[in-house]
Amino acid sequence: MNLDELKKLKEKAQRQVALREGNKKYRVVFSMGTSGIAAGAREIMTAMLDEIDKRGIENVEVAVTGEIGLVDAEPVIRIEDRSGEKVTYANVNADAARKIVAEHLQKGKVVDGLAVGKTKEAERTK
Amino acid sequence: MFDQLSLNILDIGMNSLAAGATVVRITVIEDVPHDQLLIRIRDNGRGMDEKTLRDVLAKNASTKAGRKKPIGLGLALLRQTSEMCDGAFRIQSAPGKGTGVTASMRLSHVDRPPLGDLNATIFALCAVNQDADVQLHYRSGDQKFHFSSQEGKHNEPRRTQETQGKGAAAGCAA
Repeated sequence: MNLDELKKLKEKAQRQVALREGNKKYRVVFSMGTSGIAAGAREIMTAMLDEIDKRGIENVEVAVTGEIGLVDAEPVIRIEDRSGEKVTYANVNADAARKIVAEHLQKGKVVDGLAVGKTKEAERTK
Repeated sequence: MFDQLSLNILDIGMNSLAAGATVVRITVIEDVPHDQLLIRIRDNGRGMDEKTLRDVLAKNASTKAGRKKPIGLGLALLRQTSEMCDGAFRIQSAPGKGTGVTASMRLSHVDRPPLGDLNATIFALCAVNQDADVQLHYRSGDQKFHFSSQEGKHNEPRRTQETQGKGAAAGCAA
């Protein structure tokens, strides 16, 4: 660990989080309470921000929440869109996190195997 | 239980940000000659009153008891690790005065978790709140540095103000 590396990381964080300003299409909420962190939320967040950056996706804002009561399903992330549709992904690992960026945030497709609960859209199509 | 101390630091740093802190100062000192590791997280958030402080220090403190306050297992976990590794744990807090958490450990203690990826912790805190000044003061032997996420930014507004002040006095637009 050294200062130069940290400074680069800071710039990266600021560049990525600059995306947060304004009315974005998607809002990604990370569960970063004690249980989330213990389950690996920090690595999930790092992977997702990295993937968002790599793909140059700009229509996303990032937020965090504390414990949400899904302790055994952590790491958990929730993606909300402007219409109020919320999709929760549970037991996310780094690969899944990157897939969610590629499918959901870039193409607008919910990643079926990873999403938990029912989305409003899924209920409508039934 | 965290397998890296940097995760404890992230956890407590998140509490600081949740408490509205604009400055979170993380100090990590590895003092090899004295076989001590010191970790301190100091913030200028809203702080806690005596009752809340007693609650968070109780080993069975629960998030359910007061969801709006930064109560949980996080502090208890760091305290446990610190005490398990022959160290001491201290927390100081008062409403409006922010919170300071200090944990020491015996560096060579067999149960002491590694620091782990401190960079990733700082990165996550910066990403969570880019308006807050996340600082890391790190010292280990001869290696020593200070990091501040607002380093460039802090100077700029100050300089702008000075320029504006002078500009106004001289009657020209900055």
